[in-house]
Amino acid sequence: MRLMAVVVKELIQLRRDPRSLVMIAMIPLIVMLLFGVGYGGGMGKISIAVVNLDKGSLSWTVLDSIMKTPSVYVKAYANSIEEGRELVKEGIVSAAVVIPEGFTEELMRGASTQVLVIVDESITTISSTIRNAMLAVTYKFQQELVRSVQGSSVELIYSSVYGPKVTNLEAFTPLVIGIVLQLVPTSLISIAICKEKERGTFEQLIMSPISRFDIIFGKLLAFFIATIADMLITLMVAVWIFDVSMRGPLIDAMVVSTLFLLGSLGLGMLISVLSRNQLQANQAAIFIFIPALLFSGALMPIDMLSPSARILANLTPMYYFVSAFRDIMIKGFGLWQITWQLFALSVYMMLMMVSAPLVLRLRVD
Amino acid sequence: MVLVITRLMEYAIEISGLTKKFGDFVAVDRLDLRVKVGEIFGFLGPNGAGKTTTIRMMCGLMRQTKGTIKIYGYSIPEERSELIKITGYMAQRFSLYEDLSVYENMEFFGKLYGLNGKNLENRIIELLEFLDLKDVKNRLAGRLSGGMKQRLALGVALIHRPKLLVLDEPTAGVDPPIRRAFWEYLRGLNKEGTTILVTTHYMDEAENCDRIGLMNRGRLIAEGTPRELKKMVFGGDIVEIVLQGYVQEGALNETASLKELTYRDGDTVLRLVLKDASKELPALLRRLDDIGLRVLSAEPINVTLEEVFIELVTGRVEKAAV
Ligand SMILES: Nc1ncnc2c1ncn2[C@@H]1O[C@H](COP(=O)(O)OP(=O)(O)OP(=O)(O)O)[C@@H](O)[C@H]1O
Ligand SMILES: [Mg+2]
Repeated sequence: MRLMAVVVKELIQLRRDPRSLVMIAMIPLIVMLLFGVGYGGGMGKISIAVVNLDKGSLSWTVLDSIMKTPSVYVKAYANSIEEGRELVKEGIVSAAVVIPEGFTEELMRGASTQVLVIVDESITTISSTIRNAMLAVTYKFQQELVRSVQGSSVELIYSSVYGPKVTNLEAFTPLVIGIVLQLVPTSLISIAICKEKERGTFEQLIMSPISRFDIIFGKLLAFFIATIADMLITLMVAVWIFDVSMRGPLIDAMVVSTLFLLGSLGLGMLISVLSRNQLQANQAAIFIFIPALLFSGALMPIDMLSPSARILANLTPMYYFVSAFRDIMIKGFGLWQITWQLFALSVYMMLMMVSAPLVLRLRVD
Repeated sequence: MVLVITRLMEYAIEISGLTKKFGDFVAVDRLDLRVKVGEIFGFLGPNGAGKTTTIRMMCGLMRQTKGTIKIYGYSIPEERSELIKITGYMAQRFSLYEDLSVYENMEFFGKLYGLNGKNLENRIIELLEFLDLKDVKNRLAGRLSGGMKQRLALGVALIHRPKLLVLDEPTAGVDPPIRRAFWEYLRGLNKEGTTILVTTHYMDEAENCDRIGLMNRGRLIAEGTPRELKKMVFGGDIVEIVLQGYVQEGALNETASLKELTYRDGDTVLRLVLKDASKELPALLRRLDDIGLRVLSAEPINVTLEEVFIELVTGRVEKAAV
C-alpha cells in the first residue's frame, strides 16, 4: 500500500533526524519545567474576581486600593454575585469581592454598608492572605471616609466556598499541554512538503504513481505516531512529577488531545504546502503560535478582552482545547458535558485535514 | 472479458508546437520533436537552451503554455497517470532521499509502483547487481560517490521496467570511465527494447545516440543522426591532405572546397570539404599532381560532434534540417 510506504519512509527519516528527535523529546519537558518552576511553588499573586454593583464613585476608590495591593491581582470581572461565586467554585480565582448596589449612596447618607468577600477556603494560606488584604483595604478606606462623611462605616462579611483546590501549576497544565500539542507537531510537519521541494525529491516522488492523499495522509500518520507520544509524556510528567491531579476520565482527556493534535498536524501540513522553503514554513508555524497563546484564555480570561479580541479568541482552536481540557481535568467533566468545545475542535480538525490535499499540486512549476 | 489492444507504435514521443513562457521569457519556442520507439535520442544544447523545461513538460511536471505532447500515444498532461506507468525518470539534480539507504530508496519507490514482497526484493537485487551497487546497498544515499548516486538514480528509474527512459544529464560531473560504464548500461537497456531520451553536454556521449536534436534558445535548430548532422553542417565530408614543403594558398586552384590551410613540420596541411569524398578524392589528387605538388598523405577525417555543435550554436549555419 502506497500510504504505508510513505508512513514507513517518514518514520525512518524522522529517526535519522537528530533535530526533530530533540524537539519531540525535549520541548514537552522544557515547557513543563518552565511552568513547573514558575508556578509550582504557590508563589506569585493570588487571583481574585470583582463584582461591582454600585453606580457611584466611591466603589472605585475601593477597587483602586485593591488593585494596588501587592499580594492579589484582579483576574476577572463578573456581573452578579452568582457569577462571582461560580468563578471561585471552579477554581478560576481564589476569591470574589462584591460591592453592593447603592454602596456610594448609603455611605454618603452616613449609613453603614457591607462588602461581601467570597473566599475559597480549601487552601488556608491563600484564604488568610485574602482576609488580611481586604482588612487593610477597608481600614484605609474608612480612615479617609470619616474625614468627609460622619457616621458612615464599611463592614466586611465573608462567605466561604470550597473550590477544587487548584494549585497554580494545575491551573496552567491545560495550557502547557496545549502548547506541546500545537507547537511541536506544527513545527515538525510544517517542513514536510517544502523540504521535499527544496531538496528536489518532490520531482522524483511525483513521477511515481503516488496520489496527493498518499503523500499528505502518509506524512500525517507518521507524525501523528511520533507526537502522540509527546502527549502521553506531558501528561505523565504533569501527574507524577508535578502532582497534578486528573479529576475527569483520562480517556476523555486523550480524546480531546487527539482531536487537537490532528488539527495541529493538518495546520502544519497546510503551512508546508503553501510555503516556498523551510525557513518560511518555520516562521509561519511560530507566527501562528503566538495568537494561539494569547487567546488561549489561560493567560488572560476571555471576558477581560476587548470585543474584537474576544471574537478572535472564539476563533482560536487553542481556546477550545484549553477550556475543554480544564473542564475535564479540574471540574471532572466527561465528554458529554463539553459538547460545544468538542464540536469546535472537530470542525477545526476536519477543516485542517481536507485543506492541505486540496491545495497541493503535483507539479514543479 | 477484457479486450487487450496492443498499439503498434512508431513514435514513442511526438511533440508539436510546444511552447513554454515564464512571464515574458520564452524558454521553449514552438518545438517539434519525434522520437521513434527503440531509439536512443540525444538532446543537446547549451545551458539554458530549454532542455530541462521540455523534459518536464513531457513528463507532466510542468504545464505547457501551448502545444501538444504525446507519449506512446498518451496526451500530456491529460493522461499523465498512464505516462507514469511506462516512464522511468532521472532528474537533472540528484533527487533521491539522502537520508535513506540505497536499498531503502529502491524499496520505497518500488512500493509506490505497487511492487511488494518477494517480487520487489528480487527486482531490487537484480538491479543492484546490474548496476554494481550490491556492496553499498546499506549505505545512505547522501554518502555515495557521484557515480554511485547516478547509478542509484538509474536503478530507481528502472524499478518498474519502463518502456521509456527519460534522463536529464545523467552523467554530469562524473569521471570519464564511469560515464563510459554508464553508457554501457544504457546500450544494454536499449538492446532489450527500451526507448531512451537523454540530455548531455558531453559530445563524445552524443556519438552513441541513434539520433540527436540540438536545442538553442528554446528552439530545435538541428536534428538527425550524428553522421547526417556532420555532413549537413560542413556541407560534406572533410578530407585532410598533407603536401610536401611550403605551399602558398595562391598556388592552389582548389579554393572553393578549401576550408583551412596550416603548416606542420615544414609541410602544408590542407583541409577540404568534399560533397562525397569517395568519388571526388581521386580526381582532386590528380589535379594536385598536375600542378606539381607532392601529396604525402590524404585521408578523410572524423569531425567531432563538438565542432558541429559549435558551428550550429554560434550561428554560422542557419536553421537547418535533414
Ligand atoms: N521555473 C522557472 N521560472 C523562470 N524561468 C525558468 C524556470 N525554469 C527554467 N527557466 C529558464 O528557462 C530557460 C531554460 O532552462 P532549462 O533548465 O530548461 O535549460 P537547460 O537546457 O536544461 O539548461 P542546462 O543545460 O543548464 O540544464 C533558462 O533561461 C531558465 O533560466
Ligand atoms: Mg537542464
